[in-house]
Amino acid sequence: MTEQYIELHAASAFSFLQAASPPEDLIERAVALEMPAMALLDHNGVYGSARFHTSAQRNSLRAHIGAEVSVSSFGPRLTPPAWLPHQHNNEPTRLPLLCASRIGYQNLCQLITQFKMRESTKCDGAATFDDLGQYASGLVCLTGGDEGPLAAALTHSGETAGRETVEQLTRIFGRENVYVEVQRHQEREEEWRNQAAIRIAHSLKLPVIATNGVRYATTYEREIHDLFTAILHHVELDQAGRLLAINSQRHLRSAQEMAALFRDVPGAIENTVHLSSRLDFELSDLGYEFPLYPVPDGETMDSFLRKRVAEGVERRYGPKNNPGLMARAKKQVEHELALIAKLGFEGYFLIVWDIICFCKRNDILVQGRGSAANSAVCYALEITAIDPVEMELLFERFLSESRKEWPDIDLDLPSEDKREQAIQYVYQRYGELGAAMTANVITYRGKSAARETGKALGFDEDTLGRLASLVGQWEWRGATDTMAHSFHHAGFDIQHPRIAKYLELSMRIQDLPRHLGQHSGGMVICQGQLNHVVPLERASMPGRTVVQWDKEDCADLGLIKVDLLGLGMMAVLKDCLELIPEHYGERVDLAQLPQDDEVYRTLQQADTVGMFQVESRAQMASLPRNHPDRFYDLVVQVAIIRPGPIIGQMMHPYMRRRQKKEAVTYPHPSLEPVLKRTLGVPLFQEQLLRIAMTVANFSGAEADELRRAVGMRRSWERMKNLEVKLRAGMAANGIDLKTQDTIVQNISSFALYGFPESHAASFALIAYASAYFKVKYLAAFTCAILNNQPMGFYSAAVLVKDAQRHGLRVKPIDVQASDWPCTIEHESDGSLSLRIGIGYAKSLSRFAADALVASRRSEGLFRSAEDLAQRVPSLNRNELTRLAQIGALNQLDSIRHRRDALWQVERAGKLEGPLFRRDSESLREDSVALPLQQMNIEERLVADYAGTGLTVGKHPMYYRRPELRRSNILSAQELRTRRDGEQVRVAGCIIARQRPGTAKGFIFISMEDETGIANVIVTPDLYERDRSVVTRSRFLLVEGPLQNQDNVIHVKATRLTVLSDRALEVQSHDFH
Amino acid sequence: MSQPAEIYACIHATEFPAQALLRLRPELSKQPCVVMEGEPPLQQVCSLNRRARALGIMRGMTQVEMDTFSGVSVLRRSLSEEAATKAALLECAGGFSPRVEDRSDNTAFLSVIDIAGTRALFGSPETLAQNLLHHIRALGITASTAVSSNFHAAVALAKGLPAQTAKVVPTGEESTALASLPLTVLDLNAQQAEIFSLWGIRTLGMLGALPEKELIARMGQSGKRLRESARGEMSHLFLPLEPAFHLTERMELDSPVEVLDALLFVVNLMLDQLIRRATARILALASVSITLTLEGGATFTRTVRPALPSDDRQLWLKLLHLDLDAHPPQAAILAVTLDAEPGSTSKVQLGLFSPQLPEPSRLDVTLARISAIVGDGNVGRAVLTDTHQPDGFRMEPFSVPSSEPSESPYPPLRPAMRRLRPAEAAFVTITNERPITFVFRDRRYTVEYAYGPWLTGGEWWSATLWGCEQWDLVARAQDGAILCCCLIRDLLSDQWKMVDLYD
Repeated sequence: MTEQYIELHAASAFSFLQAASPPEDLIERAVALEMPAMALLDHNGVYGSARFHTSAQRNSLRAHIGAEVSVSSFGPRLTPPAWLPHQHNNEPTRLPLLCASRIGYQNLCQLITQFKMRESTKCDGAATFDDLGQYASGLVCLTGGDEGPLAAALTHSGETAGRETVEQLTRIFGRENVYVEVQRHQEREEEWRNQAAIRIAHSLKLPVIATNGVRYATTYEREIHDLFTAILHHVELDQAGRLLAINSQRHLRSAQEMAALFRDVPGAIENTVHLSSRLDFELSDLGYEFPLYPVPDGETMDSFLRKRVAEGVERRYGPKNNPGLMARAKKQVEHELALIAKLGFEGYFLIVWDIICFCKRNDILVQGRGSAANSAVCYALEITAIDPVEMELLFERFLSESRKEWPDIDLDLPSEDKREQAIQYVYQRYGELGAAMTANVITYRGKSAARETGKALGFDEDTLGRLASLVGQWEWRGATDTMAHSFHHAGFDIQHPRIAKYLELSMRIQDLPRHLGQHSGGMVICQGQLNHVVPLERASMPGRTVVQWDKEDCADLGLIKVDLLGLGMMAVLKDCLELIPEHYGERVDLAQLPQDDEVYRTLQQADTVGMFQVESRAQMASLPRNHPDRFYDLVVQVAIIRPGPIIGQMMHPYMRRRQKKEAVTYPHPSLEPVLKRTLGVPLFQEQLLRIAMTVANFSGAEADELRRAVGMRRSWERMKNLEVKLRAGMAANGIDLKTQDTIVQNISSFALYGFPESHAASFALIAYASAYFKVKYLAAFTCAILNNQPMGFYSAAVLVKDAQRHGLRVKPIDVQASDWPCTIEHESDGSLSLRIGIGYAKSLSRFAADALVASRRSEGLFRSAEDLAQRVPSLNRNELTRLAQIGALNQLDSIRHRRDALWQVERAGKLEGPLFRRDSESLREDSVALPLQQMNIEERLVADYAGTGLTVGKHPMYYRRPELRRSNILSAQELRTRRDGEQVRVAGCIIARQRPGTAKGFIFISMEDETGIANVIVTPDLYERDRSVVTRSRFLLVEGPLQNQDNVIHVKATRLTVLSDRALEVQSHDFH
Repeated sequence: MSQPAEIYACIHATEFPAQALLRLRPELSKQPCVVMEGEPPLQQVCSLNRRARALGIMRGMTQVEMDTFSGVSVLRRSLSEEAATKAALLECAGGFSPRVEDRSDNTAFLSVIDIAGTRALFGSPETLAQNLLHHIRALGITASTAVSSNFHAAVALAKGLPAQTAKVVPTGEESTALASLPLTVLDLNAQQAEIFSLWGIRTLGMLGALPEKELIARMGQSGKRLRESARGEMSHLFLPLEPAFHLTERMELDSPVEVLDALLFVVNLMLDQLIRRATARILALASVSITLTLEGGATFTRTVRPALPSDDRQLWLKLLHLDLDAHPPQAAILAVTLDAEPGSTSKVQLGLFSPQLPEPSRLDVTLARISAIVGDGNVGRAVLTDTHQPDGFRMEPFSVPSSEPSESPYPPLRPAMRRLRPAEAAFVTITNERPITFVFRDRRYTVEYAYGPWLTGGEWWSATLWGCEQWDLVARAQDGAILCCCLIRDLLSDQWKMVDLYD
């Protein structure tokens, strides 16, 4: 009989920097070794268990779950003896615990949560005997390897102490749940402990069990393990000494190897199989219960939800005065409620409804997005703003009976404060153990990998900084954008053995977990018993707790979550809703914005800087073609400029049909109702579902399974089965083979689609609102968007220039008028203007700025620089200089220009003490003449950009225009008058560079001048030749043929030249 | 007697690392050249000639960036050539006046000569400046020279002048002469540079024109000094170069010496001189290097450095004697040079209750004797290092222990083990990767019990990687004798060694 062995003590890279292989690699290796089951015991948590479980399931392996828990009561873990030089710290011993049953798992989660949450900050923590005693039931305990309590006791105090330790464990866990563990890593020191352990086991009649204390899948990964050890202890590998592993034997070993190693220990190998058979628990048996929502007496959650929905339907559909729609809505709601009740999701909907109610009570703008917008119930509960009945959205995309996954509701909130308020409400409502953020596993990426590996290999900081700055940041990566290339560019000789090793290690640790962070908005909610399901721990942000699984893990295991996401544009809209009534005297209701021709005209002209979702280069390039003139066009617009439609070659056919250059056809006549809205081109996930339902008689649930199979890259096998079924269905409906191929091709290219139709509709709503506000209330919109930077595609400088081109007067920072945020001012002619806020002055503290504003409000305007410095002592010298430099002091009485202000603040920043000041006569400055010259235009521009990042004066290109005109260089505006194909020269200031993943290495540059924005296309060849010009220059001269197709204008660059700053200097001097 | 009027000549040579190298490589000077410094592969351009700058090369560029330029000669920085060039330039300056102040920095040569009272010897300042330029040019260096009665004006002007020009500023016209120069000729710190840049002050003239009192109110005394410098009014305390204090004695021997005693007789006299010179400055000798010029042109150098500086001639002689005894020169000696480093004579104060220690000088002699026998680096105390590598240790010089030794760290009751040093060769037969028989010290043993292999390995990231397996064996010889031992196999060289015998 061949031996069987099951590894019951393995750690994955989710023991953060203490083990080297991801769970998937461990499973892969176990499969190769024909191991029928395996256990994962990560340090103080079950971080990797979800991925371990999922991967094991996929490979038909049994995944046992457990953890290696730090226990402080056993004293410190084994370290080298004091007489040997070493750098080990005192850490508590670690006890390997395996979950035998669901109770055991729940106890493990509670145990870890208990000692983790006992700490006030994010840290490892350790359990005590009391904790273990409290949660011992259902857990099986091993005595551990080097890190365990037995090894520590044997080494520190001998065999008697070792026996006492094991007896202590039997008292806690029960005799039948303690296994004396032996590991053999071919280390001499380990062996005498093993012999002692075996004697103890015999004397106490406990089973001996062999494990390998696995830290990596194969011996090769020992290098990663050593590297991680060095990173963890902040030492260089050369200095790490005994911290590093003594050899590379902690890999997954085969049954034959283990049997040979433990031939002299009877039962050690057999016991692994025996214990494995005792471990009933698997993660699929989580015992997670749907959260409950407390309802008033006499109500059930179902009846309570029905009432809230019924009220909502009246509120939402009543004002629409459309009896047919109302009837359809009621029917749809009834259908949804029945399914919700059947699946037991009432609590979930009520919880989300409750959050919405909280936001409304507290004046927080909130809108649901994602597939929830397919649900009429969500619309009625005001979770979403899109009417799915009117838009005929497909509910099955959101919720279907056969889905094992919970519905996922994403809520968009104005970023930062308001979102935090909502999150804290959820914590407070559901208790510390009832709600937590989902984790975000921070993994090694190009930069962090190169930096930390470099540090461990002893490279100096400067060199590492240089390298990190060169690691590519583009979305699209060409053949030369490899890490090796970056290394070469940073001046490394990659033939050098140590540097070759550096490069190799940097690449090998890519994507391995580094530490656990918290997801920005994902919350898991579970009515007070979340700690039964997954351990919770403190996040580094105070007042936050986080579960040990990330978003995907939670979804894989069916945990319910609500995403509270920060969306900058929501904050802008919210600010607009306050600014518009205040300054324009008009009331606006986001839900009732009129469909306005002027707004659509602006969209058609791609004049969309600052507008949500439609402002990017690619969006601008497609807007004139799409020519949106109603809301649904905008829904398509938001969805179509995505990698999916572009790669799936949907974008161009749609655009051609939209422009009536191509006839609208359907793959099959039966699909006309499904695809009519998108001119016969499938664009949305809902359409995919409907296609499958229509042509192959799939049920809603089956169709959704198909969508999910397509969406997951790894599920080719599942996809194949479904394709067979799909084709069979189509054949049964008499669809010919060629059409079948077309339909299958259409469906396959959905693989990378980002958006369901409902999601696009939710976003389109925000996009329309942003466009409406920008067109109708430019001052309010610009003010709001400047106060919510950074967000969107363009910098504040571009937004200001764009607003100015649209006729808004923008006024500079002025200590006599500016508040911290930007504000709207009323001009004498009745128009509105925008005042830049002091917040835009770089490196000025909020505290000092608030003190300045408070002083101005209470004591009136400042009289001089000295008066300012005295009244606002919190303004330091640098801050005064900054204000003077950007012209914010120019309105003070005694100041004539910026240099004058600089001269005065340098004095005002160094005032004498009060005693000395009494003798004011001797301090008086002799000369009243101003010794400094006024700044010239160029100096003012430089000061503006350096000090605020923007200028409210003329665009820098304006000053160069005469010179440019002489050289026959066109402005962005003039490009519009030129013919397609004409050779042109255009120059501007680069405001955006993009290398999208779908563009095959092409680079898109947006250049701004005083007349607008010009678009430039750079081919990969040209980029290779002029890489530094493309990536580093600020002002650029481009030559090449003009492309003007359907009013979409590009210059295809054939030559790029840097416009030197010196030319600007010369030019500006010409003006004096 | 009236003080002669102050007058200074300043020499300024930019891109000194490049100039120092190209001086002796005239064939390169017509083409673009850069000088790189730093450890490969992380070198950076530290200096370059005009033709290289014209190509767009800048300081701080890396090797890879340099690779993108073709036809550029790349040289490595040579501090020794720079030192030699600098010495030549200073010597040239010294030819005009003994009072020379050196103000060179990392990449530029700058020195100022006090030429007061030299008119009779070298002619007018104009003539002197031209001559100076001419002499420097003859050394292969391009520089600028400026003459002014104000030290700082001369410096600023020399820095601001184009290469190969000389300028003399008449007394009283410093301010005018300096007015058009950029602020970079003054040594501004980052903060001052930032303030002036904010103020739009770009030239010395603009700086000099600022009102003094107001400037002091803003920038303090440093502002005043900068303003005076800009106007050529700043006074200066001249710090002439002093000859360095070198403790060196050299003697050419009349005939080649082969006997050490004869040499030591000479050395004794030289040591006496060195110690006299050192004690005159209340110093002692910290180390002495003896350099012997041998027949055939070779040189032979030994350095002796006792624990404490000493002025005991007998001690030095003894130490040198022992050292040379242990490392005798391989040919007859033609000349001998002694270089000594001076050191402080202060004594180490020992605690009242510290254990009695041998006198340092006698201990040094004893250690030197031992060292002469066992070899350098083999004397001292062995200290374990933080590594898994077997036998990982280093030698440390003996030192006075700073704390009480801790109680015996070795746990009792371990079997005794005899370490073989060095490890002895063994010839091992293996089956199934386990040793079966071996030959050790010409006897053949059959393994009865084998425990292992114990595996260790490390430093996989560098060229010093190592790995070995160890076996604890109980083996029996043909005559029935039992041997308990430890065999080690170096995994890199696949060699077996006997390292331990167990009792």
